Amino acid sequence: MIGLEHYIIVSSLLFSIGFFGVLLRKNTLVIYMCLELMLNAANLALVAFSRYHGGMGGNVFVFFIITVAAAEVAVGLAIIVALFRKRQTVEVEELNTLKN
Amino acid sequence: MGSELYAYGLLAIPLFSATLIAFCFRRSGGIAASVSIGAAALILATALHLIFKVDNFEYNASWIEIGSFSVDFGFLIDDLAKLMLFVVAFVGFLVHVFSYGYMKEDPDRARFFGGLSIFMFSMLGLVMASGLVTLFIFWELVGFSSYMLIGFYLDKPSAAAASKKAFIVNRVGDFGFLIGIVMVFSHFGTFSLSSLSAIFHGDATLLESVSVTAIGLLLFCGTVGKSGQLPLHVWLPDAMEGPTPVSALIHAATMVAAGVFLLCRIGFLMTADALQVITWVGVSTALVAGFTAIAQRDIKKILAYSTVSQLGYMVAAFGLGSLVALSGEASHGYAVISGGAAAAMFHLTTHAFFKALLFLGSGSVIHACHHEQDIFRMGGLAKRMPITFWTFTVALLALIGTPFITAGFYSKDAILALAYQQSTPAFFCLVLGAVLTAFYMIRLWKIAFLGSPKSESAEHAKENGLVMTVPLCLLAIGSVFGGFVWAYPEALKPIIEVGESIAHGEHHTTVAIFSIVAWAIGLVTAWFLYQGGAEKDPLESGVKPLYRIFKEKFYFDRAYDWYVAKVQQPVAMTLHFMEQIALSGLIIRGMAGVAGLIGIGLRSLHVGNLHQYLYWFIGGLALFWALAVGIF
Repeated sequence: MIGLEHYIIVSSLLFSIGFFGVLLRKNTLVIYMCLELMLNAANLALVAFSRYHGGMGGNVFVFFIITVAAAEVAVGLAIIVALFRKRQTVEVEELNTLKN
Repeated sequence: MGSELYAYGLLAIPLFSATLIAFCFRRSGGIAASVSIGAAALILATALHLIFKVDNFEYNASWIEIGSFSVDFGFLIDDLAKLMLFVVAFVGFLVHVFSYGYMKEDPDRARFFGGLSIFMFSMLGLVMASGLVTLFIFWELVGFSSYMLIGFYLDKPSAAAASKKAFIVNRVGDFGFLIGIVMVFSHFGTFSLSSLSAIFHGDATLLESVSVTAIGLLLFCGTVGKSGQLPLHVWLPDAMEGPTPVSALIHAATMVAAGVFLLCRIGFLMTADALQVITWVGVSTALVAGFTAIAQRDIKKILAYSTVSQLGYMVAAFGLGSLVALSGEASHGYAVISGGAAAAMFHLTTHAFFKALLFLGSGSVIHACHHEQDIFRMGGLAKRMPITFWTFTVALLALIGTPFITAGFYSKDAILALAYQQSTPAFFCLVLGAVLTAFYMIRLWKIAFLGSPKSESAEHAKENGLVMTVPLCLLAIGSVFGGFVWAYPEALKPIIEVGESIAHGEHHTTVAIFSIVAWAIGLVTAWFLYQGGAEKDPLESGVKPLYRIFKEKFYFDRAYDWYVAKVQQPVAMTLHFMEQIALSGLIIRGMAGVAGLIGIGLRSLHVGNLHQYLYWFIGGLALFWALAVGIF
């Protein structure tokens, strides 16, 4: 029987992968995907809690997060594409022009 | 149509004229002059209508309201305002006409006439104001127009200095005035003159309180500045740097008399102690200015000191008369106005006529002599300028109080009668002042007009045109008949009647004898001391030390110069130094330094590496989380 704890473990794992991915990876696109991973970890936890409590509050939250994430992806990917066209790279180490 | 429309009209006409001149006719002096003179004529007509055809009224429109604090803009047209309106409009119109001739050759006369219009606007507003705040605003506006016109000859450093001096000295007095107004509001909660008067008439014990004395004296500070009373009289003689018509209108007939007008307006709140101070300020001003006038050589300076001295008379008259009224010895039925205010306004009116005439006459002389102002370089003008000479003589006879036939005799008698009733020392001081008046005026008259010419310009002097002589003649009529009640129309009578009845009071024979003796002594001494067209003052070698003191104007200017250079300047420098160290250095620069240091520190955090920022972000998040759960 799969219980709430399993879901939470998966969600925590997903979140950790996302978190460390954001911290450690150099490719902007990958960092971006890791960000999405963290959002979805939160979604998973919310749905699990919602099911566990038998209410709809968590599900409603998830819908909002998905909507916002969709909008965010549209904007974020567009920025990354534009960035690549301009610089021919998406490596964060080389994207430090604001500093100098 | 509401009566207040006339009052609004009186303000709108000169304001419109001034605006028109300022924006459209700066370069065209002829049009500017016509506009300004036309406005003055319109003002005279409106004022006469307001005086004769409109009943006394008060009109108030709410202007500023913040909680319980409210300021009204309004007009108070009573007998006092009507008399003053008459003086301002009448003398103002004549001076405008005279200026047309006097300023004919000046390239900048558009600015001059614009200034005159602004002055008329401010002065009329001052006269009609119904509350202390409105009065103060117009009070400052007349000060501004006076400043502008004194400094009319921009390229003359002395004119610039004189206008600055007038402004600064007036600031000193006005500061007290302003504090007085604020105190009035904090004590009585209103600025309205009629409400204040009602409060004081309802509660007689108010006149025993010390704070009311303080209020009275603070408001009197305004008068001291504006009306050139001791010790702030120093600006008025210097103000003669302005064009002569300005001296006639602003610094003789109307603006400087505004201080006396103010006293009469607020006469109800003067306590006995305040009145004592006011009286003695007036008396000492009359004497000091009289003595100073004896040793001056500049025709306008002599007239200026004479003005200061006569203003001293008016202020003293107000003080003495109100004291008489307070002590309950009044026997004139002061229902309309207190005796002091009546005597002061009576003298103000007659003085406006003859002093404006004297100044315009001197302007005529100066114009004819190509701007020669030293009387010892004139001489023999009587034959060359007959109309000026005769009108000047009439005004002079009025000023020195020639018995029975001139206005000055009656108005001065009213003042002397009040002094006789109230205070013997003040009475004798004022009689001495009358001797001095006769003395210095006869001196001026004989030296400038009689004998033979002492300079080329005096030799070639010619009588001026009609535009300058007609105003002189009209003012001469006023100088003679201004002393008789029957010469005044009904609407102006109430105040003049009270003034005249004081002169004809119970001691009138004694007072008149003193006055005539004073007149005769001054006249005879001067007559025999000075030769017609003299070149040197016999007093200069005769009583050297005294003459020196008079010539140096009792060292008032020297004392102020010393004060400014030796006291005020070091204090200001010390304050400046402290300001540099403490304010500029420590606080302002110090704050900037701290902000700069923080900036340098924070800049080192800006490395351009996305991951670095991320760590900071997470650190910040952790900090907030820790704060939120209460770890710190």
